[in-house]
Formats: sequence, C-alpha cells, structure tokens
Amino acid sequence: MEPEPNNTGSGSGNPKEEATLKVPSKDPKKKDDKKDEDLSEEDVALKQQLELYVERVQDVDQGLQKVALESMRNLAGEIAQEYAKRVNEEAAVKDLIELVEQIVAFHMKHNAEPEAVDLLMEVEFLDLLVKHVDSTNYKRTCLYLTSSARYLPGPDDMSVLDIAYTIYTKFEEFPSALQIALYLHNMQHWMFVWQHVKQVFTSCPDLLRKKQFCYILARQGLSFELDEEMCADDEDREALQEIINNTKLSEGYLTLARDIEVMEPKSPEDIYKAHLLDGRASAGASVDSARQNLAATFVNAFVNAGFGQDKLMTVPSEASSGGSSGNWLFKNKEHGKASAAASLGMIHIWDVDAGLAQIDKYFHSNDNHVIAGALLGVGVVNCGIKNDCDPALALLADYLDKEDSSIRIGAITGLGLAYAGTQNEQVGISFPLHCIRDKLTPILGDPKAPLDVIAFTAIALGLVYVGSCNEDVAQAIIFALMDRSESDLGEPLTRLLPLGLGLLYLGKQDSVEATAEVSKTFNEKIRKYCDMTLLSCAYAGTGNVLKVQHFLGQCAQHLEKGETFQGPAVLGIAMVAMAEELGLDMAIRSLEHLLQYGEQNIRKAVPLALGLLCISNPKVHVMDTLSRLSHDADTEVAMAAVISLGLIGAGTNNARIAGMLRNLSSYYYKEASLLFCVRIAQGFVHMGKGLLTLAPYHSERFLLSPTALAGLVVLLHACLDMKAIILGKYHYVLYFVVLAMQPRMLLTVDENLKPLSVAVRVGQAVDVVGQAGRPKTITGFQTHSTPVLLAAGDRAELATEKYIPLSPILEGFVILKENPDYREEA
Amino acid sequence: MPTVSVKWQKELYPAVEIDTTQPPYVFKCQLYDLTGVPPERQKIVMKGGLLKDDSDWSKLGVKEGQKLMMMGTADEIVKAPEKGPGHSAGLFNLGNTCYMNSTMQCLHSVPELKSSLIEYPQAGRSNDLDQSSHLLTVATRDLFNELDKNVKPVAPMQFWMVLRKKYPQFGQLHNGSFMQQDAEECWTQILYTLSQALRSPSSSQNTDTVKALFGIDLVSRVHCAESGEESLETESVYSLKCHISHEVNHLHEGLKHGLKSELEKASPSLGRSAVYLKDSHINGLPKYLTIQFVRFFWKRESNQKAKILRMLRDEDGRKAGLKLKEKSSASVDNDVKMSDAENGSGESSKATSGEGVVSDKKTQLTGVYDLVAVLTHKGRSADSGHYVAWVKQENGKWIQFDDDNPIPQREEDITKLSGGEPL
Repeated sequence: MEPEPNNTGSGSGNPKEEATLKVPSKDPKKKDDKKDEDLSEEDVALKQQLELYVERVQDVDQGLQKVALESMRNLAGEIAQEYAKRVNEEAAVKDLIELVEQIVAFHMKHNAEPEAVDLLMEVEFLDLLVKHVDSTNYKRTCLYLTSSARYLPGPDDMSVLDIAYTIYTKFEEFPSALQIALYLHNMQHWMFVWQHVKQVFTSCPDLLRKKQFCYILARQGLSFELDEEMCADDEDREALQEIINNTKLSEGYLTLARDIEVMEPKSPEDIYKAHLLDGRASAGASVDSARQNLAATFVNAFVNAGFGQDKLMTVPSEASSGGSSGNWLFKNKEHGKASAAASLGMIHIWDVDAGLAQIDKYFHSNDNHVIAGALLGVGVVNCGIKNDCDPALALLADYLDKEDSSIRIGAITGLGLAYAGTQNEQVGISFPLHCIRDKLTPILGDPKAPLDVIAFTAIALGLVYVGSCNEDVAQAIIFALMDRSESDLGEPLTRLLPLGLGLLYLGKQDSVEATAEVSKTFNEKIRKYCDMTLLSCAYAGTGNVLKVQHFLGQCAQHLEKGETFQGPAVLGIAMVAMAEELGLDMAIRSLEHLLQYGEQNIRKAVPLALGLLCISNPKVHVMDTLSRLSHDADTEVAMAAVISLGLIGAGTNNARIAGMLRNLSSYYYKEASLLFCVRIAQGFVHMGKGLLTLAPYHSERFLLSPTALAGLVVLLHACLDMKAIILGKYHYVLYFVVLAMQPRMLLTVDENLKPLSVAVRVGQAVDVVGQAGRPKTITGFQTHSTPVLLAAGDRAELATEKYIPLSPILEGFVILKENPDYREEA
Repeated sequence: MPTVSVKWQKELYPAVEIDTTQPPYVFKCQLYDLTGVPPERQKIVMKGGLLKDDSDWSKLGVKEGQKLMMMGTADEIVKAPEKGPGHSAGLFNLGNTCYMNSTMQCLHSVPELKSSLIEYPQAGRSNDLDQSSHLLTVATRDLFNELDKNVKPVAPMQFWMVLRKKYPQFGQLHNGSFMQQDAEECWTQILYTLSQALRSPSSSQNTDTVKALFGIDLVSRVHCAESGEESLETESVYSLKCHISHEVNHLHEGLKHGLKSELEKASPSLGRSAVYLKDSHINGLPKYLTIQFVRFFWKRESNQKAKILRMLRDEDGRKAGLKLKEKSSASVDNDVKMSDAENGSGESSKATSGEGVVSDKKTQLTGVYDLVAVLTHKGRSADSGHYVAWVKQENGKWIQFDDDNPIPQREEDITKLSGGEPL
C-alpha cells in the first residue's frame, strides 16, 4: 500500500547510519519546497527520512523518543500486529491508540500522509485522521484515501470514503465532497447519499458553486429534486434545477461542435469511404440492400447524433412535397422503419423541443412500425434530460396497451430510455413516483403479452430502477420469469429478463443475495444464466477480485452444448474488473487465456468483454487482438469482435480502427450480417463526429454513471446472441447505447453560464497519489482554448491563473470565477 | 381565469389565458391561432399527462403561471411513397449481359417458378443431374432471392459465372469483352436446365414444374406427300414461334404458321429422305405461354408489327400484352419472341385445337392469356443493340428493366412497343 520503494526490507539500517553522520551538515529548518522539487525523487525521500529521524529523536515524549530509534515503518507494522493480536484476545488497545495518535500527528506534520493513513487503517481508527489534517495536507490525504478505497474490501472502503468526505467538507472542498457522495451512491442506499448531497448543498452558501454541483450531478445522470432547504430562493432553485435536468446539454454540445467546425452533416458514404478501397467492394453491391439501408440508417443516426441535422432523415422538407425524409424512412423495410423513425430521436438527442417537433408527424403515420419507431425516438431524445412537463411519459403512456406488439415495445423501451435511473426513493419528490412502475409491471404479469414485450418491459424497468434494489419490481420480474414456459426459456429474448432483474442491483453488491437465492429455484435452463447475470451486475464496477476469480472459475468449466451461462460470466469479468486500471489490465490478460482455452460460447463473449473494458479507449494491444478476432473462422466471434472494435473506438474517430473497419468491409463484402456489423462499428467509431464518448466512467475515471453502464450492459447482452436480436428484428437495441453517450468535452462557462474561452493545457493524466510536493498532474500537454475535446486518460488544467475553476476536475461544464489576486504579467 | 405559458418547439407563448368554463378544445383553438397547428394535431403536455379534449379543467388543477408544453406540427404527415420499392431490384450489366438480365427479369416475374426454386435443396442434387446444372439452379434461386430482398440493383456475378460454366457459348469473347448474345438462346437454355433440375425426384408422376408452367403439348401429324405416309407424334415444347410474314396480320395467324413446318427426313417406305409436312396441333396449353416472334424475311419497319398487335387487341377486345424479344431492323432476321403470356393473347381465336386444354391447369381453361412480361430488343441489327425486359407488377403497373435501372411505364406504352424502339 505504501508507494515508497526506496525504503524496504532489511536495508533500512543503512540510511539511518548515514543519517546520523550527515544530519549536522544540513539544517532541517531551512526546508524549502522549491528546493525539494529540484531534487530527484530519491533524494527528496532520503532527505525527508533524515529530517524525520532528527525530529523524532528531539521529541519531548520519552516513549516516542525510544521507539523513534527504530524504523518508523517497523514501528507502525508492529503496532498493527499488536493491535490485531489484542483484538483477537479482546484485550485493551487504549495504550496502543495513544501511541498511534502520536505517530499519526507526527506523520501528518511531516508530509507523510500515506504512512499515517495506512497505520490508521491497520488499527481501524480512521476517525483520528480528521483531527490531524490541516489545509496544507488535506488534499493529499484525501487523494490517498480515495485511491486506496478501490483496493479495500467492503465495508472498509465505505468508512475510508466517509472520512474523506468529512475532511473535504471540513475544508469546504465541496465539489470533491460531492463526488465522494456520488461515488458512495454506487454502493450505498439512496437515502444515505441523499443526505450527503443535501449536506453539501446546505453547507455551501455560494450560488455559483451550487451551480457547479448541479453540473456534477447532471453528468452523473441522477435526478434530484432540490428542496427549499437546499436553495431558499425560488428563482435560483429553478435555475439550479434546470442545470440538473440537463436542459443545456444540447446547447453546450453544439457550442463545442461549432467551435471545432463539424456542424456539416455527414452521410454514411462519408464514413464508409468506399473510394479508398480497391474496386472489389464497390462492385460487391450484391448483398442484401435492405439490410444495408438499415445499417446506413444507424450509421447516419450515430454520426449525426445530437447535431439536429443530417443528410437522410431531416433533409429540408421544401426539397419535395411530403418531405424527402419520408423517402429514406420507407427505404427501410418492416421493422427497419422503426429504427429509421427512432433515428430522428438520436439525431436530435438532448434537444427535446426540436426533437419532438420532428418526431411528432410520425405519430400520425398509419404504419405500426413507424409509430413504434417514433415512440422509441421520443425516449431516445429525452434520454438523460428531464423536463417539467414530462412529455415522454405523456406521449408514451397511451401506447403501452396497444394491440400491436411492436408499438408496445417502442413505447416501453422509450419509457425505459427516457426515465433511466430516475426512480429513486427520494423524499418529498413531487413527481408521481411510482407512475412508471404502475404502468409497466402489469405488462409483466399479462398472460397474453408476447415474450418480446415482456423481455423489453423487464429491461425498461431495470433501467428506470437501475441500482435501486426495488423489491416490488424485482418480484414482478421474478414472477414473470417463473411463468415462462419451457420453450420460452430457450428463447434468446428470455435472457433479457434476468438482465432486467440484475440491473436493479447494479453495483449494489451484497444487496443482491436475497434475489440470487430466489433465482436458484428457477428452471434449470435459466438458473445458471440468471445467477451469473445477477452476480455480474451486482458487482459491476467494484473491482472485486474474488468475483473476478469466481467468474473465471465458471468459464473454466467445459460444458455440454446448449449451456449459455458462460457468456454473462465473461461479460461479468469485464464489468467487475473495469473499476480500475490495474484490475483492467489483469482482466485483459485473463481474457486472452479464455480465448485460447475457452469454447465457442466463451470465445464469442470475449471480444465483447474486451470492448467493455476499453470502451471509447482504443488501446493498441486490444485493438490488435480484436482485429485478429475479426477474421476468426467462427462468424459469431468475428461479429462480436467487429462490434467491439467499434466500441473501443466509439466517438474517437480513431484512424487506425477506421482503416481496419474499412478493410473489413471489403473483406466481408459478400456476407451481409458481418458487413452489417462492420457498418455499425463504423458508425460507433465516428459517433457524434468524434465528439462523444461511451465511457461510463467520468470525472477522471472516479465516478461511474450507473445508467451509462446499464445501457452498455444491455447492448452487450443483446450482442451475445447477434443472430436472434441485432441481426433479427430487434436491432433497435443498438439505441440503448444512447444511455452511455456523453460529449467528451471541457466547456468553460462564466458566471452567467455563457461559454467562456480560456487557454487550457490538455495532456496525459499522471498518477500523483502519494507523491510528495506538488508534482505535475499532466504530461505531454498541448495548449488549447476551450471548448476542447478530452480523450480517454486526458486531463486538463487552466493555463493561466486568471480564473479559478469551481470544480477541481476539469471535465464537462466548469464554471470559472475571476481570480481577484490575478495580475496581468507585463 | 388562470394564465399559463405555453412552449411550442423553440417558442414560448407567455400569458395564455385559459377559460376554465369552456372545454379544453377551446383552449386548443386559441393555440391554433397562435401557432397554426390544427387542434386535432395538438398534443398538450402537462405534468406527465396529455390534455384530452373532454377533460375537465377543474380536475386538472391548472395553476397560475404553469408551464405547458405543446407538440404538433402543421407539416404534412409522412406517408409511404405511392409506389415505394414495389418492384424488385435491377441487375447490373456485367459487360454485354443485358440479354441475361432481361431474361432473368422475365423469369423472375413467374411466382410459381420462384416458389418451386425456393424448395430446391442446396446440397442434395439428384443423381441424374450434372454438377453445373445444379449450380445454375442454385444460382438462379439465389439471384431471385436477392432480387426480392433488394431495393438497389444487384450484380448477378455468381449467376453469370455459373451460366458461363454451364453454357460456354455465352462466354465468347470479342475484342476482349464478352459478346452480345441471343436472349432467346439464353431463355431456352435456362429453361431447359431448370426443367431438368426441378423435376421432383421423389414422385414418379410428372411433376416437372417447368413443364407444368411453360410446356406446350403438341400433337403433330407428320405427313409425307410423296409416299402418303402419316404418323402422329406428341411433343412438348416451351415456346411457340410466331412467324411473321406478309400475310400475317394477327398473332394467331402467325402461330398457325409456326405450327406448320416442312422437314426432310428419311422415309422408310421410299428408302430415301423425303420432304414431310409437319402439322402440329396444340393439345395442352401451359399456365404461361411463351411466344417467340420470329421475324425472318420480314423487311418492313417495326410499325408493321405494331399493327399486328393492335389488331390482335381489337379482335379480342381485351388487354393483350406480349413479352417480345425482337431484333428489329429494316433488314434481316427480325425475330421477336413473345414469352410468358398469360390469359390474353388470342389463343381462343386460334381454335386449332382449343379443346385440348387440360382441366387441371385452371388458368388456361379459357385459353385467354394476360401479358405479364415482354423481353424486347432495340437496335439496328441482330448482333448489336440492347435488350430490355418489361415486367408487369402485382399492382398492374409496368416496369421496364433496363439493366440496373427500373423505369416505371404505363400500360399503353407496352402496346406501342410492338417492334421495339429504335436505339
């Protein structure tokens, strides 16, 4: 845990002897921070050791003087051992704690926060820390606390984060405190987090900073309703609520797009770039063109997502009477028309007013598929945006009980997307809380509802109640699962039911256990599958190594044909391990083994798992693995690999992946299904013309947005059986990706929330946890003026001190305040 | 009367008064004045619900200053395009393959053929069928499938290769490119192959689909004038030839002409070859009658042929369409082929052996055929020019398939076609 490599093991005696010799020559009081930075890391550490030593020996306390002769580390270790022993023997530990307190005070005073934290964690007495932090070292302390929390087993991580939260609030570093509160949300019960957030709001008097809090909440995708305690003034509260409701997201995104001059709509042909290929592909138009049109519809939707204009669907209607968009729509056949109509939602995503105006006319169509698409489109356009009038609910509710199952699915899925993550048991919320549940749960119990309607209802409920552990919803889904007939259970769509159930417990760890027990009583066809799905969802984003090992163990079994539960197990590895970088790298290596030794049903899930691990983060070695798999002899593996190539490059415009996909498009020009996948992947890579990310982690990879992860997990589970779902008539599950879509931007705004262009340095983030002094946080930076794009692993910092950012993490919307102490340099 | 603000698209209308004594429809009319969206197209959203025309204001509890949202556009409603992709896709020209494309388009218009092809198994070819015929049949099936599924033109690469393999004559090269071929030959060869392949191996009875669809049973009386020998032969052909000459003004005359032929064969009684007169009578007509216009010795302009067809129509008083493939020119060898005529050409008027219609073939009970497809040639000479196919769609419209370019045509145009347009 201690990141100090130069003082380990038995060699610790040597530096001390040196120390006694050299101390007189150096006056410890002439300590100078500037000088520290000039020295090499090793020298700094050595110097600190020397100084520490001197201080300890001079200490008035006899006892401490005595132990100071020992190595500080050894002492800490011994205390920890002694503590453990006494706890076992149930002996008194009071004297030990006294000793600890002294050591901690000493450490904290001398820039050795990690040691202090480690010792306190050993003796389980972290509360002491709050007393000893001061304004100079709280940041480093909290940084160390938060990053070590990832490696701690529960419930220790909770207490560690709680301490960090307390320290941040103590020093009024509210944005960071809020972030910790949100981090806790992923594991804790909602009320607990709600209180924390409320505390942050009530203890911060500054309206501008509250606005920044709202931006942070909005990015996390949580719906909060502010009450009077949080903001007394009605008008201010409305302004704050507007930020939380994400109404300005579209505006900010378009500002970014205008700034980097990508407003011009792009057609699918601009993405395919067929002219760069040899003649073969262009002559190979012999493939199924209805499917090609469908692929073009998706590519067009993804590429022009959020721009409000494109070249297929929204062509100005004066071009011909009736609007040429109708023409493109009707170039798609049957269920393809649903996806085409819904693509309007994608093109107008986050812009509810313009989007609904465009979609509205499709409601009057006499084609059921078009209506279904329009309903889904309403959901897509409202995704992540809340509106006081709740247009999505108003529009969709009427269609939930229609005869036609495609219309029902459209309405149900639309509700799921529009209200994903909104149904938390918040106190005093004015919105009719259980409205959606009351509307959707009866469908699950409807004996006449076809399987696909039930499957999508379960998913929609899972999304709306994501991570809520809601008992009633869980019950409803469990009953629906039990009611399935033997033949239904074999259907690929049935597997969406356990997933819906799993989403209810997303990231909630132990809370799933009761439900997992119930799932053991299911029909054996689905039992294992259900078990894996529940477990993988419950531990998603926790980095729990034991669970990863559990999943690996499941994958090691060689099964008879027909068993499908290893697919979710492989995805589970990725979902659990994606929490932090180290675990992620280990998971990638483990997956490599599965690829070599696993059977077909494992191999086809591995690319998807890789895609989730590196989503919107095209790591070269993963890219190479996927490129290799995309030529696999097994079509399903190849299809999954192609889709995953799109996922890892999603929204990056990565030229290398684009090239790979282009070559794949000519390689597979005769195979319609693979070509479809290649096209979709191309759409992913150029998503939002490269302004978007699908990564569910944000705020310097600290926070995990549960709705984003849920959207991705649904998509990946659907990809486990490509033929039945995405290549069948349920291709609109691709729109679930909308839940994870976010602009990967830094947009700085002034105090009136108007965009403000300032110079920023953007570079690769450097891990500075546990480092002494004020190390650089980015490397290899370039200076840009905002708004600016941030790639995966990038970090930004302001180039000048003219403004003070109200959030320590420069991502998304950041409010800048003028620095009163700033003087223009001559 | 509470006032509310209404948001419509990007616009906000503040302070709209609601008269709560009137039904909401009145409010909608108010909004109609403001926005121009007709009341029935308006959707007014308030707090998660839609405002219904018959709802009661007092129960809705509209508050002063509440924000409502209105949706609806005055735009036209999106309708499916009239015609849509109602017709199947075109076929790319792979280098002088217009004869093949046109032939396939015509054959494609026969639904029965399509359905029997679908049942054709991929793997199990019957023993008496050679590999290349099998492959050609599979390729035909796949091509038909693609034509049905696609909207954009299809490149019949696979089919083209298989066809060349089976019938190398189509692969002849001229100046490094493939030669223009005779569509009639292509038609005959493909039909022959299909008839071989689609013979159902399971049942012993005559379930030859192609024969059932296209086969014409002929009873021929072969008579030798010299020796007075006479013999009866029955045969089945896939097309009737309509010889066009000076005296032929009607289709039936031409057909009658075609049924008489002279042939020279060894006479057993005379001990030498003698001229026989072969007089065929039609014994059974198929569901799809294929007529080939043979325009040997015909040296007039194509409008003469037009005359023939027009007369035909007059006489029968019903729609007559012909799928005709022709090489029209002022000079030599005008051969017009009429394929696939269903219910409508003048078969009844022919009356040579009209009674020979077999009852299990229901469409031809009347002997009246309807024209479904025409394969026609345009251009100056037999070895050049261009083939196109005219195919009647289910909705009665005609599509001219000019390789990859399907052009909608009117029914009248087809009759004007008669001799093929000059290139």
